Amino acid sequence: MDERGSTKDLLAEVIQLASDLGPVLRPRGDEEFLQAIVETARLVFDAAACSIALFDEGDEELVFRVAAGLGAEATVGIRIPADRGIAGWALMSGQSIAVDDVRQDPRFAADIAESTGYVPNAIMAMPLESERQTFGVIEVLDRRRGGGEGVDDMEVLALFARQATLAVESSRIFSNLGRALLESAALAAQRDSLRVALQERAAQTPRSQVELAELALLFHDLGVLGPDERRAAARIAEDFLAYARKQRR
Amino acid sequence: MKPAWSWQFDPATLQRVPASLPAAITRDWAFDGTTGAGVKVAIIDSGIDAAYPGVGPLAGGAVVVADEDAPRGARVIEGPHEDLFGHGTACAAIIRQAAPDAELYSIRVLGERLTGRGIVFAEGMRWALEKKMHVLNMSLSTSRNDYFGLFHEIVDDAYFKRAMVVCAVNNVRAPSYPSQYASVFSVAAHEGRDPFRLEYNTSPPVEFGAPGIDLEVGWLGGRSIRATGNSFAAPHITGLIARILGKHPGLTPFQMKTVLTALADNAQ
Repeated sequence: MDERGSTKDLLAEVIQLASDLGPVLRPRGDEEFLQAIVETARLVFDAAACSIALFDEGDEELVFRVAAGLGAEATVGIRIPADRGIAGWALMSGQSIAVDDVRQDPRFAADIAESTGYVPNAIMAMPLESERQTFGVIEVLDRRRGGGEGVDDMEVLALFARQATLAVESSRIFSNLGRALLESAALAAQRDSLRVALQERAAQTPRSQVELAELALLFHDLGVLGPDERRAAARIAEDFLAYARKQRR
Repeated sequence: MKPAWSWQFDPATLQRVPASLPAAITRDWAFDGTTGAGVKVAIIDSGIDAAYPGVGPLAGGAVVVADEDAPRGARVIEGPHEDLFGHGTACAAIIRQAAPDAELYSIRVLGERLTGRGIVFAEGMRWALEKKMHVLNMSLSTSRNDYFGLFHEIVDDAYFKRAMVVCAVNNVRAPSYPSQYASVFSVAAHEGRDPFRLEYNTSPPVEFGAPGIDLEVGWLGGRSIRATGNSFAAPHITGLIARILGKHPGLTPFQMKTVLTALADNAQ
Protein backbone atom coordinates (compact mmCIF):
# COMPACT_ATOMS: atom_id res chain seq x y z
CA MET A 1 0.00 0.00 0.00
CA ASP A 2 1.46 3.37 -0.91
CA GLU A 3 2.03 6.06 1.72
CA ARG A 4 -1.08 7.97 0.65
CA GLY A 5 -3.28 4.97 0.20
CA SER A 6 -7.01 5.34 -0.31
CA THR A 7 -9.45 5.43 2.60
CA LYS A 8 -10.61 2.01 1.52
CA ASP A 9 -7.12 0.55 1.85
CA LEU A 10 -6.58 2.18 5.21
CA LEU A 11 -9.86 0.86 6.51
CA ALA A 12 -8.94 -2.58 5.23
CA GLU A 13 -5.71 -2.33 7.18
CA VAL A 14 -7.51 -1.24 10.34
CA ILE A 15 -10.04 -4.04 10.00
CA GLN A 16 -7.22 -6.52 9.56
CA LEU A 17 -5.49 -5.12 12.67
CA ALA A 18 -8.70 -5.16 14.69
CA SER A 19 -9.30 -8.74 13.62
CA ASP A 20 -5.75 -9.80 14.53
CA LEU A 21 -5.98 -8.07 17.88
CA GLY A 22 -9.62 -8.99 18.48
CA PRO A 23 -9.13 -11.06 21.61
CA VAL A 24 -7.02 -8.42 23.33
CA LEU A 25 -8.73 -5.25 22.21
CA ARG A 26 -11.77 -5.69 24.38
CA PRO A 27 -12.05 -8.73 26.61
CA ARG A 28 -15.60 -9.90 26.28
CA GLY A 29 -17.90 -10.12 29.22
CA ASP A 30 -16.16 -7.95 31.81
CA GLU A 31 -19.64 -7.14 33.10
CA GLU A 32 -20.35 -10.86 33.43
CA PHE A 33 -17.04 -11.34 35.18
CA LEU A 34 -17.82 -8.58 37.68
CA GLN A 35 -21.23 -10.17 38.20
CA ALA A 36 -19.55 -13.51 38.89
CA ILE A 37 -17.25 -11.83 41.42
CA VAL A 38 -20.11 -10.30 43.41
CA GLU A 39 -22.09 -13.54 43.32
CA THR A 40 -19.10 -15.54 44.58
CA ALA A 41 -18.29 -12.97 47.26
CA ARG A 42 -21.91 -13.02 48.43
CA LEU A 43 -21.78 -16.80 48.79
CA VAL A 44 -18.38 -16.82 50.52
CA PHE A 45 -19.52 -14.27 53.12
CA ASP A 46 -23.08 -15.65 53.25
CA ALA A 47 -24.01 -11.99 52.84
CA ALA A 48 -27.35 -10.36 52.16
CA ALA A 49 -25.88 -8.57 49.16
CA CYS A 50 -22.68 -7.70 47.37
CA SER A 51 -22.15 -5.02 44.75
CA ILE A 52 -19.55 -3.16 42.72
CA ALA A 53 -19.88 0.55 42.00
CA LEU A 54 -17.57 2.25 39.51
CA PHE A 55 -16.52 5.87 39.68
CA ASP A 56 -17.88 8.18 36.99
CA GLU A 57 -15.26 10.88 36.61
CA GLY A 58 -17.53 13.28 34.74
CA ASP A 59 -20.12 13.50 37.48
CA GLU A 60 -17.90 12.56 40.44
CA GLU A 61 -20.43 9.85 41.27
CA LEU A 62 -20.39 6.15 42.04
CA VAL A 63 -22.52 4.07 39.68
CA PHE A 64 -23.55 0.56 40.78
CA ARG A 65 -22.64 -1.70 37.87
CA VAL A 66 -23.34 -5.18 39.27
CA ALA A 67 -25.04 -6.54 42.38
CA ALA A 68 -26.07 -9.88 43.85
CA GLY A 69 -28.55 -10.65 46.60
CA LEU A 70 -31.21 -8.52 48.25
CA GLY A 71 -32.17 -5.41 46.33
CA ALA A 72 -29.80 -6.38 43.51
CA GLU A 73 -32.10 -5.41 40.66
CA ALA A 74 -32.92 -2.06 42.22
CA THR A 75 -29.26 -1.39 43.01
CA VAL A 76 -27.80 -1.74 39.50
CA GLY A 77 -27.69 1.61 37.77
CA ILE A 78 -28.07 3.65 40.95
CA ARG A 79 -25.78 6.67 41.13
CA ILE A 80 -24.67 8.04 44.48
CA PRO A 81 -22.51 11.08 45.16
CA ALA A 82 -18.93 10.05 45.97
CA ASP A 83 -18.65 12.62 48.75
CA ARG A 84 -20.65 10.75 51.34
CA GLY A 85 -21.34 7.39 52.93
CA ILE A 86 -19.17 4.42 53.70
CA ALA A 87 -18.53 3.59 50.02
CA GLY A 88 -17.63 7.20 49.28
CA TRP A 89 -15.18 7.26 52.16
CA ALA A 90 -13.50 4.03 51.04
CA LEU A 91 -13.20 5.41 47.51
CA MET A 92 -11.80 8.78 48.57
CA SER A 93 -9.46 7.57 51.32
CA GLY A 94 -8.15 4.47 49.52
CA GLN A 95 -8.82 2.56 52.75
CA SER A 96 -11.02 -0.42 53.54
CA ILE A 97 -13.63 -0.05 56.22
CA ALA A 98 -16.20 -2.27 57.92
CA VAL A 99 -19.04 -0.76 59.90
CA ASP A 100 -21.34 -3.03 61.84
CA ASP A 101 -24.19 -0.67 62.64
CA VAL A 102 -24.49 1.68 59.70
CA ARG A 103 -28.00 2.66 60.74
CA GLN A 104 -26.29 4.86 63.31
CA ASP A 105 -25.23 7.03 60.39
CA PRO A 106 -28.57 8.69 59.65
CA ARG A 107 -27.56 10.23 56.34
CA PHE A 108 -26.27 6.92 55.01
CA ALA A 109 -29.37 5.00 56.03
CA ALA A 110 -31.70 7.51 54.42
CA ASP A 111 -29.72 7.58 51.17
CA ILE A 112 -29.58 3.85 50.77
CA ALA A 113 -33.14 3.14 51.86
CA GLU A 114 -34.35 5.64 49.32
CA SER A 115 -32.40 4.03 46.50
CA THR A 116 -32.56 0.27 47.07
CA GLY A 117 -35.27 -0.32 49.60
CA TYR A 118 -32.89 -2.47 51.63
CA VAL A 119 -31.12 -0.97 54.63
CA PRO A 120 -28.26 -3.11 55.93
CA ASN A 121 -26.91 -3.26 59.45
CA ALA A 122 -23.33 -4.02 58.46
CA ILE A 123 -21.34 -2.93 55.47
CA MET A 124 -17.80 -3.68 54.40
CA ALA A 125 -16.35 -1.50 51.65
CA MET A 126 -13.05 -1.70 49.83
CA PRO A 127 -11.67 0.54 47.08
CA LEU A 128 -10.85 -0.92 43.66
CA GLU A 129 -7.49 0.63 43.07
CA SER A 130 -4.51 -0.18 40.89
CA GLU A 131 -1.16 1.55 40.63
CA ARG A 132 -2.62 3.59 37.79
CA GLN A 133 -6.10 4.57 38.88
CA THR A 134 -8.95 4.27 41.35
CA PHE A 135 -11.90 2.56 39.68
CA GLY A 136 -14.61 2.16 42.29
CA VAL A 137 -15.69 0.24 45.35
CA ILE A 138 -16.79 -3.30 46.21
CA GLU A 139 -19.29 -3.60 49.06
CA VAL A 140 -20.59 -6.51 51.11
CA LEU A 141 -23.79 -6.00 53.07
CA ASP A 142 -24.73 -7.95 56.21
CA ARG A 143 -22.19 -10.77 56.02
CA ARG A 144 -23.03 -13.75 58.21
CA ARG A 145 -19.86 -15.78 57.67
CA GLY A 146 -16.23 -14.90 58.12
CA GLY A 147 -15.62 -15.62 61.78
CA GLY A 148 -16.50 -12.14 62.97
CA GLU A 149 -12.93 -10.94 62.70
CA GLY A 150 -13.15 -7.88 60.51
CA VAL A 151 -9.60 -7.96 59.27
CA ASP A 152 -9.78 -11.58 58.13
CA ASP A 153 -12.91 -10.69 56.21
CA MET A 154 -11.07 -7.81 54.65
CA GLU A 155 -8.25 -10.03 53.51
CA VAL A 156 -10.77 -12.25 51.73
CA LEU A 157 -12.56 -9.25 50.26
CA ALA A 158 -9.18 -7.90 49.08
CA LEU A 159 -8.88 -10.96 46.81
CA PHE A 160 -12.22 -10.22 45.18
CA ALA A 161 -11.32 -6.52 44.95
CA ARG A 162 -8.09 -7.44 43.19
CA GLN A 163 -9.93 -9.56 40.63
CA ALA A 164 -12.46 -6.82 39.98
CA THR A 165 -9.71 -4.22 39.64
CA LEU A 166 -7.85 -6.34 37.10
CA ALA A 167 -11.03 -6.96 35.14
CA VAL A 168 -11.97 -3.29 34.98
CA GLU A 169 -8.44 -2.15 34.31
CA SER A 170 -7.73 -4.57 31.49
CA SER A 171 -11.07 -3.80 29.91
CA ARG A 172 -10.33 -0.06 30.03
CA ILE A 173 -6.75 -0.44 28.82
CA PHE A 174 -7.84 -2.35 25.76
CA SER A 175 -10.80 -0.17 24.95
CA ASN A 176 -8.44 2.82 25.17
CA LEU A 177 -6.01 0.94 22.95
CA GLY A 178 -8.81 0.27 20.47
CA ARG A 179 -9.82 3.91 20.58
CA ALA A 180 -6.22 4.97 19.93
CA LEU A 181 -6.12 2.70 16.88
CA LEU A 182 -9.44 3.89 15.47
CA GLU A 183 -8.70 7.56 16.06
CA SER A 184 -5.36 7.10 14.35
CA ALA A 185 -7.10 5.37 11.47
CA ALA A 186 -9.52 8.27 11.14
CA LEU A 187 -6.62 10.69 11.12
CA ALA A 188 -4.77 8.57 8.59
CA ALA A 189 -7.81 8.35 6.35
CA GLN A 190 -7.77 12.12 6.08
CA ARG A 191 -4.12 12.64 5.27
CA ASP A 192 -1.45 10.14 5.94
CA SER A 193 -0.31 6.60 6.55
CA LEU A 194 -1.55 4.70 9.58
CA ARG A 195 1.93 4.50 11.02
CA VAL A 196 2.44 8.26 10.89
CA ALA A 197 -1.01 8.80 12.41
CA LEU A 198 -0.23 6.39 15.25
CA GLN A 199 2.98 8.28 15.95
CA GLU A 200 1.05 11.54 16.00
CA ARG A 201 -1.54 10.02 18.32
CA ALA A 202 1.24 8.98 20.70
CA ALA A 203 2.68 12.49 20.64
CA GLN A 204 -0.68 14.12 21.39
CA THR A 205 -1.95 11.67 23.98
CA PRO A 206 -2.20 12.74 27.63
CA ARG A 207 0.72 11.45 29.68
CA SER A 208 -1.31 8.69 31.36
CA GLN A 209 -2.22 7.13 28.00
CA VAL A 210 1.04 7.63 26.16
CA GLU A 211 2.14 4.05 26.84
CA LEU A 212 -1.10 2.78 25.32
CA ALA A 213 -0.70 4.83 22.18
CA GLU A 214 2.89 3.63 21.89
CA LEU A 215 1.72 0.07 22.44
CA ALA A 216 -0.77 0.52 19.58
CA LEU A 217 2.10 1.64 17.39
CA LEU A 218 4.12 -1.42 18.35
CA PHE A 219 1.19 -3.69 17.52
CA HIS A 220 0.92 -2.05 14.15
CA ASP A 221 4.61 -2.58 13.42
CA LEU A 222 4.43 -6.19 14.58
CA GLY A 223 1.39 -6.70 12.41
CA VAL A 224 3.37 -6.06 9.24
CA LEU A 225 6.15 -8.51 10.16
CA GLY A 226 6.06 -12.23 9.50
CA PRO A 227 4.49 -14.87 11.78
CA ASP A 228 7.89 -15.95 13.17
CA GLU A 229 8.67 -12.45 14.37
CA ARG A 230 5.18 -12.07 15.84
CA ARG A 231 5.54 -15.36 17.74
CA ALA A 232 8.96 -14.30 19.04
CA ALA A 233 7.52 -10.95 20.16
CA ALA A 234 4.65 -12.70 21.94
CA ARG A 235 7.12 -14.98 23.75
CA ILE A 236 9.18 -12.00 24.89
CA ALA A 237 6.04 -10.24 26.11
CA GLU A 238 4.94 -13.37 27.98
CA ASP A 239 8.35 -13.74 29.61
CA PHE A 240 8.33 -10.12 30.61
CA LEU A 241 4.83 -10.40 32.08
CA ALA A 242 5.82 -13.49 34.08
CA TYR A 243 8.91 -11.67 35.35
CA ALA A 244 6.95 -8.52 36.25
CA ARG A 245 4.30 -10.55 38.11
CA LYS A 246 7.00 -12.39 40.05
CA GLN A 247 8.60 -9.10 41.05
CA ARG A 248 5.32 -7.87 42.44
CA ARG A 249 4.69 -10.81 44.74
CA MET B 1 38.49 26.02 53.16
CA LYS B 2 35.82 23.52 54.20
CA PRO B 3 33.53 21.38 52.14
CA ALA B 4 29.84 22.28 51.97
CA TRP B 5 27.82 21.55 55.15
CA SER B 6 30.88 21.20 57.36
CA TRP B 7 30.25 24.61 58.98
CA GLN B 8 27.33 22.94 60.76
CA PHE B 9 29.86 21.05 62.83
CA ASP B 10 32.09 24.00 63.84
CA PRO B 11 32.29 24.09 67.62
CA ALA B 12 30.89 27.63 67.50
CA THR B 13 27.77 26.72 65.56
CA LEU B 14 27.21 23.11 66.59
CA GLN B 15 23.69 22.76 68.04
CA ARG B 16 23.07 20.96 71.33
CA VAL B 17 20.77 17.94 71.08
CA PRO B 18 18.93 16.43 74.01
CA ALA B 19 20.39 13.13 75.14
CA SER B 20 16.79 12.13 75.33
CA LEU B 21 16.62 8.37 75.54
CA PRO B 22 17.29 6.72 78.89
CA ALA B 23 18.97 3.34 79.22
CA ALA B 24 15.60 1.69 79.85
CA ILE B 25 12.59 3.18 78.09
CA THR B 26 9.58 2.57 80.31
CA ARG B 27 5.90 3.45 80.08
CA ASP B 28 6.31 5.72 83.12
CA TRP B 29 9.16 7.58 81.44
CA ALA B 30 7.21 7.91 78.21
CA PHE B 31 3.59 8.47 79.27
CA ASP B 32 3.36 9.41 82.93
CA GLY B 33 2.05 12.86 83.79
CA THR B 34 1.52 14.06 80.23
CA THR B 35 -1.58 14.90 78.22
CA GLY B 36 -0.06 16.00 74.93
CA ALA B 37 -0.36 19.71 75.84
CA GLY B 38 1.55 21.96 73.46
CA VAL B 39 1.73 19.32 70.72
CA LYS B 40 0.19 20.31 67.38
CA VAL B 41 -1.56 17.43 65.63
CA ALA B 42 -2.89 17.64 62.07
CA ILE B 43 -5.73 15.26 61.22
CA ILE B 44 -5.66 15.08 57.43
CA ASP B 45 -9.03 13.48 56.74
CA SER B 46 -12.70 14.28 56.12
CA GLY B 47 -13.03 17.22 58.56
CA ILE B 48 -13.82 17.09 62.29
CA ASP B 49 -17.08 17.71 64.12
CA ALA B 50 -15.78 19.86 67.00
CA ALA B 51 -19.12 19.44 68.80
CA TYR B 52 -18.64 15.69 69.16
CA PRO B 53 -18.31 14.85 72.89
CA GLY B 54 -14.70 15.10 74.02
CA VAL B 55 -13.31 16.22 70.66
CA GLY B 56 -13.40 20.06 70.70
CA PRO B 57 -12.11 22.65 70.82
CA LEU B 58 -10.05 22.58 67.66
CA ALA B 59 -6.97 24.78 67.34
CA GLY B 60 -7.62 25.48 63.67
CA GLY B 61 -8.16 23.97 60.29
CA ALA B 62 -8.32 24.22 56.53
CA VAL B 63 -10.01 22.65 53.54
CA VAL B 64 -7.85 21.68 50.57
CA VAL B 65 -9.48 21.64 47.15
CA ALA B 66 -8.16 20.65 43.74
CA ASP B 67 -7.59 23.71 41.58
CA GLU B 68 -5.94 23.38 38.20
CA ASP B 69 -5.06 27.07 38.19
CA ALA B 70 -3.19 26.88 41.50
CA PRO B 71 0.61 26.54 41.14
CA ARG B 72 0.66 23.04 42.64
CA GLY B 73 -2.80 21.99 41.48
CA ALA B 74 -4.56 22.50 44.83
CA ARG B 75 -5.68 25.40 47.00
CA VAL B 76 -5.96 25.75 50.79
CA ILE B 77 -8.94 27.55 52.32
CA GLU B 78 -8.33 28.17 56.01
CA GLY B 79 -11.22 28.16 58.47
CA PRO B 80 -13.81 25.99 60.19
CA HIS B 81 -15.65 23.30 58.23
CA GLU B 82 -17.85 20.25 58.85
CA ASP B 83 -16.97 16.57 58.70
CA LEU B 84 -18.32 15.15 55.43
CA PHE B 85 -18.08 11.47 56.34
CA GLY B 86 -17.58 11.10 60.10
CA HIS B 87 -14.15 9.53 59.83
CA GLY B 88 -12.11 12.60 60.80
CA THR B 89 -14.24 12.92 63.94
CA ALA B 90 -13.53 9.25 64.73
CA CYS B 91 -9.78 9.91 64.43
CA ALA B 92 -9.97 13.03 66.61
CA ALA B 93 -11.86 11.17 69.36
CA ILE B 94 -9.30 8.33 69.27
CA ILE B 95 -6.35 10.75 69.51
CA ARG B 96 -8.00 12.49 72.48
CA GLN B 97 -7.92 9.21 74.45
CA ALA B 98 -4.14 9.40 74.83
CA ALA B 99 -3.59 13.10 74.25
CA PRO B 100 -6.59 14.99 75.67
CA ASP B 101 -4.80 18.35 75.63
CA ALA B 102 -3.11 18.16 72.22
CA GLU B 103 -3.86 21.00 69.82
CA LEU B 104 -5.93 19.38 67.06
CA TYR B 105 -6.09 20.84 63.56
CA SER B 106 -8.54 19.53 60.97
CA ILE B 107 -7.22 19.49 57.43
CA ARG B 108 -10.00 18.31 55.15
CA VAL B 109 -8.74 16.64 51.99
CA LEU B 110 -11.50 14.04 51.49
CA GLY B 111 -14.87 14.60 49.95
CA GLU B 112 -14.53 17.38 47.41
CA ARG B 113 -13.37 15.41 44.36
CA LEU B 114 -11.73 12.06 43.71
CA THR B 115 -9.86 13.32 40.68
CA GLY B 116 -6.46 14.67 41.67
CA ARG B 117 -6.81 13.54 45.26
CA GLY B 118 -3.09 12.68 45.58
CA ILE B 119 -2.28 16.34 44.84
CA VAL B 120 -4.84 17.40 47.44
CA PHE B 121 -3.42 15.01 50.09
CA ALA B 122 0.06 16.37 49.37
CA GLU B 123 -1.05 20.00 49.69
CA GLY B 124 -2.70 19.21 53.03
CA MET B 125 0.58 17.74 54.27
CA ARG B 126 2.50 20.77 53.05
CA TRP B 127 0.11 23.12 54.85
CA ALA B 128 0.54 21.14 58.07
CA LEU B 129 4.33 21.33 57.76
CA GLU B 130 4.23 25.06 57.01
CA LYS B 131 2.15 25.54 60.17
CA LYS B 132 4.80 23.61 62.12
CA MET B 133 2.60 20.69 63.15
CA HIS B 134 4.41 18.07 65.20
CA VAL B 135 2.33 15.05 64.16
CA LEU B 136 0.38 14.40 60.94
CA ASN B 137 -2.31 11.72 61.03
CA MET B 138 -3.15 10.28 57.61
CA SER B 139 -5.73 7.51 57.66
CA LEU B 140 -5.68 7.50 53.89
CA SER B 141 -3.57 6.32 51.02
CA THR B 142 -3.21 6.12 47.28
CA SER B 143 -1.73 3.26 45.25
CA ARG B 144 -0.97 5.42 42.22
CA ASN B 145 2.72 5.19 41.56
CA ASP B 146 2.63 8.58 39.81
CA TYR B 147 2.68 10.03 43.33
CA PHE B 148 5.73 8.12 44.57
CA GLY B 149 8.15 11.04 44.08
CA LEU B 150 5.76 13.70 45.32
CA PHE B 151 5.08 12.00 48.65
CA HIS B 152 8.71 10.97 49.03
CA GLU B 153 9.73 14.62 48.87
CA ILE B 154 7.11 15.63 51.43
CA VAL B 155 7.83 12.90 53.98
CA ASP B 156 11.55 13.70 53.71
CA ASP B 157 10.72 17.36 54.37
CA ALA B 158 8.63 16.25 57.36
CA TYR B 159 11.50 14.15 58.68
CA PHE B 160 13.96 17.05 58.39
CA LYS B 161 11.47 19.22 60.29
CA ARG B 162 11.09 16.52 62.97
CA ALA B 163 7.40 16.13 62.12
CA MET B 164 6.01 12.63 62.64
CA VAL B 165 3.89 11.34 59.75
CA VAL B 166 1.55 8.55 60.84
CA CYS B 167 -0.17 6.63 58.03
CA ALA B 168 -2.64 3.78 57.78
CA VAL B 169 -1.55 1.10 55.33
CA ASN B 170 -4.16 -0.06 52.88
CA ASN B 171 -5.49 -3.58 52.79
CA VAL B 172 -3.85 -4.79 49.63
CA ARG B 173 -0.35 -6.23 49.58
CA ALA B 174 0.99 -3.58 47.23
CA PRO B 175 2.76 -0.28 47.88
CA SER B 176 0.55 2.59 48.96
CA TYR B 177 1.59 6.15 49.61
CA PRO B 178 2.48 7.84 51.86
CA SER B 179 2.60 4.81 54.18
CA GLN B 180 5.41 3.19 52.20
CA TYR B 181 8.44 5.28 53.23
CA ALA B 182 10.94 4.46 55.96
CA SER B 183 10.49 7.70 57.90
CA VAL B 184 6.71 7.23 58.14
CA PHE B 185 4.97 5.51 61.07
CA SER B 186 2.96 2.96 59.11
CA VAL B 187 0.12 1.36 61.05
CA ALA B 188 -2.26 -1.59 60.72
CA ALA B 189 -4.95 -2.83 63.07
CA HIS B 190 -4.38 -5.42 65.79
CA GLU B 191 -7.07 -7.06 67.86
CA GLY B 192 -6.53 -5.20 71.13
CA ARG B 193 -8.82 -2.50 72.49
CA ASP B 194 -6.50 -0.75 74.97
CA PRO B 195 -5.43 2.55 73.37
CA PHE B 196 -2.08 2.33 75.20
CA ARG B 197 -1.10 -1.07 73.78
CA LEU B 198 0.85 -1.36 70.59
CA GLU B 199 2.92 -3.95 68.76
CA TYR B 200 5.97 -3.71 66.53
CA ASN B 201 6.30 -5.64 63.28
CA THR B 202 9.85 -6.69 62.47
CA SER B 203 9.00 -7.15 58.77
CA PRO B 204 7.96 -3.68 57.55
CA PRO B 205 6.74 -1.75 55.53
CA VAL B 206 3.96 -1.86 58.14
CA GLU B 207 5.72 -1.18 61.44
CA PHE B 208 3.15 -0.65 64.18
CA GLY B 209 0.00 -2.46 65.24
CA ALA B 210 -2.71 -0.62 67.21
CA PRO B 211 -6.43 -1.10 67.94
CA GLY B 212 -8.60 -0.96 64.83
CA ILE B 213 -10.89 -3.98 64.95
CA ASP B 214 -14.50 -3.79 66.02
CA LEU B 215 -14.15 -0.47 67.84
CA GLU B 216 -16.82 1.95 69.00
CA VAL B 217 -15.79 5.17 67.25
CA GLY B 218 -17.19 8.70 66.94
CA TRP B 219 -19.10 9.56 63.76
CA LEU B 220 -21.54 12.13 62.38
CA GLY B 221 -24.26 13.87 64.36
CA GLY B 222 -22.83 13.05 67.79
CA ARG B 223 -23.41 9.33 67.22
CA SER B 224 -20.91 6.50 67.40
CA ILE B 225 -20.56 3.43 65.20
CA ARG B 226 -18.83 0.07 65.55
CA ALA B 227 -16.12 -0.09 62.92
CA THR B 228 -13.02 -1.93 61.69
CA GLY B 229 -10.11 -0.66 59.60
CA ASN B 230 -6.45 0.25 59.61
CA SER B 231 -7.66 3.82 59.35
CA PHE B 232 -8.71 3.60 63.03
CA ALA B 233 -5.37 2.10 64.09
CA ALA B 234 -3.30 5.04 62.80
CA PRO B 235 -4.85 7.66 65.14
CA HIS B 236 -4.08 5.41 68.13
CA ILE B 237 -0.37 5.69 67.29
CA THR B 238 -0.80 9.42 66.62
CA GLY B 239 -2.32 9.83 70.09
CA LEU B 240 0.57 7.99 71.75
CA ILE B 241 3.14 10.04 69.83
CA ALA B 242 1.43 13.30 70.81
CA ARG B 243 1.36 12.18 74.44
CA ILE B 244 5.06 11.29 74.44
CA LEU B 245 6.02 14.51 72.64
CA GLY B 246 4.13 16.48 75.28
CA LYS B 247 6.64 15.18 77.83
CA HIS B 248 9.68 14.79 75.60
CA PRO B 249 9.58 17.52 72.97
CA GLY B 250 12.35 17.49 70.42
CA LEU B 251 12.47 13.75 69.83
CA THR B 252 13.25 12.95 66.22
CA PRO B 253 10.98 10.60 64.25
CA PHE B 254 13.53 7.80 64.55
CA GLN B 255 13.94 8.34 68.29
CA MET B 256 10.16 8.18 68.54
CA LYS B 257 10.17 4.89 66.62
CA THR B 258 12.74 3.57 69.08
CA VAL B 259 10.54 4.64 72.02
CA LEU B 260 7.39 3.10 70.54
CA THR B 261 9.24 -0.11 69.73
CA ALA B 262 10.53 -0.31 73.32
CA LEU B 263 6.96 0.15 74.61
CA ALA B 264 5.47 -2.46 72.30
CA ASP B 265 3.85 -5.50 73.88
CA ASN B 266 6.15 -7.78 71.88
CA ALA B 267 9.34 -5.95 72.97
CA GLN B 268 11.64 -8.22 74.95
